[in-house]
Amino acid sequence: MSLYEIRDMAIEIDGKRLVEGVNITVEAGKCTAIIGASGSGKSLSCLTPFGLTPGEALGSIKLDGIELTRADAHQMHKARSQLTGFVFQQPLTALTPHLTIGAQLQEAAAQAGPPRLSRHELAQKLERVGLLRADERLDQFPHRLSGGERQRVMIAAAIAHRPKLLVADEPTSALDASLRGEIMALLDELRAEQGLAMLLVSHDLASVEGHSDDLIVMDQGWVVESGSTADIISNPQQDYTRRLMAATPRLTEPAPALPLVGERLMETEAVTVTFPRPGWRRGKIDAVVDASLNVAEGEAVAIVGGSGSGKSTLGRAIAGIGPLTSGTISWQGDILPERRARSLSMRRLIQPVFQDPVASLDPQWKVCDIVAEPLKNLRPDLLRADRDRIVENALNDVELSAAYLERFPTSLSGGQAQRVAIARAIIANPQLLVLDEATSALDPLVGSSILNLLAKLQQSNRLSILFITHDIASARRLCHRIVVLDEGRIVEMGDMAAVIDNPNADTTKRLIAAS
Amino acid sequence: MTAIPTLLVIILASFFLMRLAPGGPFDGERPLPPETQAALQTAYGLDKPLWEQAWLYISRLVQGDFGPSLVYRDFTVSELVAQGLPISLTLGGLAIILALLIGISAGLFAAVRAGQAADKTIMMLATVATALPTFVTGPALALLLGLWLGWLPVSGTGEGWSWLIMPVVALALPVSGAIAKLTRAGLATVLKQDHIRTARARGLPETKILFKHGLRPALVPVASYLGPAAAGLLTGAVVVETVFGLPGLGRYFVQGALNRDYPLVLGVVTLYAALIILFNLFADLIYGWLDPRMREG
Amino acid sequence: MSGQKHHPSLSGAGRGYRKHWPLWVVLVLIALALILPALLPWTYDQIDWDAVRAPAFSGSHILGTDEIGRDRLARLAAGTRVTVMVAIAAALVSLVVGIAWGATAGWVGGKVDEAMMRFVDALYALPFMFIVILLMVIFGRSILLVFVGIGLVEWLTMARVVRGQVMALKQRPFILAAEAAGTPPLAIILKHVLPNIAGVALAYLMLTVPQVVMVESFLSFLGLGVQEPLTSLGILVKEGADYMDMTPLGLLLPGGLLVLLLVCLTIEGERLRDIYS
Repeated sequence: MSLYEIRDMAIEIDGKRLVEGVNITVEAGKCTAIIGASGSGKSLSCLTPFGLTPGEALGSIKLDGIELTRADAHQMHKARSQLTGFVFQQPLTALTPHLTIGAQLQEAAAQAGPPRLSRHELAQKLERVGLLRADERLDQFPHRLSGGERQRVMIAAAIAHRPKLLVADEPTSALDASLRGEIMALLDELRAEQGLAMLLVSHDLASVEGHSDDLIVMDQGWVVESGSTADIISNPQQDYTRRLMAATPRLTEPAPALPLVGERLMETEAVTVTFPRPGWRRGKIDAVVDASLNVAEGEAVAIVGGSGSGKSTLGRAIAGIGPLTSGTISWQGDILPERRARSLSMRRLIQPVFQDPVASLDPQWKVCDIVAEPLKNLRPDLLRADRDRIVENALNDVELSAAYLERFPTSLSGGQAQRVAIARAIIANPQLLVLDEATSALDPLVGSSILNLLAKLQQSNRLSILFITHDIASARRLCHRIVVLDEGRIVEMGDMAAVIDNPNADTTKRLIAAS
Repeated sequence: MTAIPTLLVIILASFFLMRLAPGGPFDGERPLPPETQAALQTAYGLDKPLWEQAWLYISRLVQGDFGPSLVYRDFTVSELVAQGLPISLTLGGLAIILALLIGISAGLFAAVRAGQAADKTIMMLATVATALPTFVTGPALALLLGLWLGWLPVSGTGEGWSWLIMPVVALALPVSGAIAKLTRAGLATVLKQDHIRTARARGLPETKILFKHGLRPALVPVASYLGPAAAGLLTGAVVVETVFGLPGLGRYFVQGALNRDYPLVLGVVTLYAALIILFNLFADLIYGWLDPRMREG
Repeated sequence: MSGQKHHPSLSGAGRGYRKHWPLWVVLVLIALALILPALLPWTYDQIDWDAVRAPAFSGSHILGTDEIGRDRLARLAAGTRVTVMVAIAAALVSLVVGIAWGATAGWVGGKVDEAMMRFVDALYALPFMFIVILLMVIFGRSILLVFVGIGLVEWLTMARVVRGQVMALKQRPFILAAEAAGTPPLAIILKHVLPNIAGVALAYLMLTVPQVVMVESFLSFLGLGVQEPLTSLGILVKEGADYMDMTPLGLLLPGGLLVLLLVCLTIEGERLRDIYS
């Protein structure tokens, strides 16, 4: 008998059926992964049996011989607290802010019952998950720890009472790309060491590939396909799975055919951006230091780095929408001044697209006015009718029909909103697009369709692109060259294929391992 | 530490404002003879340059000397303050304790029963309570419990502590309503947060989740309301002392204000400001206890 | 899974008159306060020597008369009118000052913001009511000063709220996109920033009105606000409290009316605030 077995489960919230026909099996010492886009019901399926969502689970759910759907309070308590441990997505908010790490770990360990652990034992548990200076950590509050450290604490707490099942709901997706590999490796190690069964939830196929034995693919509340991970990946049966796999960028896929590169367009020299420290204290924060790079006509350059690496700040300085402390940005040899001093004709050359598509559209404006905004400023000579026609064409270019013209952003999905944002960016015929994590907030299928759209525009409009991202695999689909940033400094730069095959900097190696 | 400079600025600002005012304390019904006027001015130091007066005032203030009262001629301001401050502090202190007790428990109760009839009723009552001005509830309570039912004394301090009940309740009502709403809203936000789900995943009982993991962060908005609440209580005390005929600071302040008694008004404003600043420092400490992230400024 | 948020608009704030009963109560009361004086045979300051302290429903005095024979209903109408007028004027002063201060601090940011908001924090910590009283004492008790004084004090919350909103908006990518689109700074503020804070500002304006009503009545109650022969709800409460042992109606009527106004305005304001924030 398997440790954890779900048969024909349905989940309802307020009488509304959101998930149906789910079968999950997890064996001791093995890992089963559920993947799916947001709204697929993957998190709901793994948390609802334990009463951690507002939903109600129907069907048969057996954990270590206990039938959870018919469990009394005592059995439920045993299942939730003694048999199972949980790791959640947001390490920043998943720990109670006003209790010390030690207190929370003690509380977690107490699920197994007395005796209380000694301070030394608690410290050992932290050391086991790879935290340095463990004894000191016990007295600290969660906000003193970094995101990666907090997720290690979460893992230590989740296994402190030696559970049989570990439920990990997107344990790495809120972490910096370079940390993801380490956390997944830690989970694998603990699973092997303690014979844990693990139920892993992710939105991202690539992140579970090497770690799960079985795989369940979900879409809109249904299981699309399930089986052994290796089988599904080598030979997917369902169309949805095949599309999902095609949408997941991989470093192993064949290199794409990229457009030819022309003359050098944009060049930065020793660009430095410093911010004053917040508050009255003196001092500065160096966000970008001495960054020199260039982009040629038709060329796409990836700027890759973890969070806080300064990649967005650099992109904003280039696009003229962020501060520039020193250094120069030039366009075909002419210097582009910093933000307020840029003329309209300079503005037209470089346009940005942002990560959060909904936040990048003014909620009070209609789509037609949003897309027309650059045109009104940059081409004031246009007649109203001409402008309307250009706006419609731009929507057409991003594969949206004219029906969207009168809609408000709040009624758009993430993918549609990002298309509108791209239409606004290309409408005034720019020559360089600065894409700041433009696909990373989107579901894989949507993100990949946006990548395809960008590739099409790159070809048809001979656009140059600065592709700012943490994900080398998706950058590889579009970019000729790569620039790796760490703590504001360029640590590596070169041809995409050459850098991936032979990375020099540690940051680059970590980012490649995470892709 | 910005407390001392803030206090100094308040003292100086009110000092100069008072001196700018047209009309003085000696403008009676009948104009006094010029020589009497001059004598009075000299006696009270009003003929010296403004800066010198300000300097004199502050240097005496440091020694606890607020100067003579111009209206209550037989008393110094220090004497009046020494008499009034204990009464005002008792009123304000009891009122804030009562308001915290009522407000936090009502808010907790409502949050636990979120969405149910009890929650809606409590929140409606809290909204009504916040809209109850002390100058309406004070007289209304006096009318009901004092004049009609005869349970409590209507005026003065009298014997025992029964004279405190009505003034303290009138003062505490609006504050308790506001605290109930803040507690309820704070808990509603916190109980949705991830760390509550973590606690729940550990199989903790709901009461333990509420009190150990939920309540402290939920009270952060209450802590930041304590400063304004203290200011509100002090202003409320002015009314309550007037209505119930209690010789507290507030009544002296109103009398001083109506009669242009500069030293008295200045003295009371200085004390009030100092009290409120002290209270804000205290609120900051609570803040740090509620949420350790606030401890590093 | 993500529920689609509706475009917030006033009509979306809850359809139907029933949901907005507090607002309607306030509007009806204001309308009565405006119309009644024209219909009543007595003015608010006219003394009926034949009917001093008349009980309710005696002759032409529907709610009776006060200690010196003035018609209660006429005085209530006049008092409400003055109180509401002062409240609206003062709330508008706070709106203008608060938006100007908060938007400047939020938009300019940095040390300027820091200094401007420290100033607001310092004022917040003050016994502001005493400062208003100080102003009243110094510059004389005129009705104009009452609302300028109150408005100048009540702008603090508005400034904080607007500043917070502007700070948050400034970070939103659509503001950066507008800059990249070549929209000049002033146009960004007028076309992108202000429309997006209008809802919140309106909600806090609604919440400022009961605050101001409270402050004005407080001052008038102490004899430091509106002066006779003008009257306001605060003065009426004061008069009622002085003679409550003989004519309790004199306290209960204006007190009840004041509380009703305050409760309705607060409920409506909080509802608006919850929608926009």
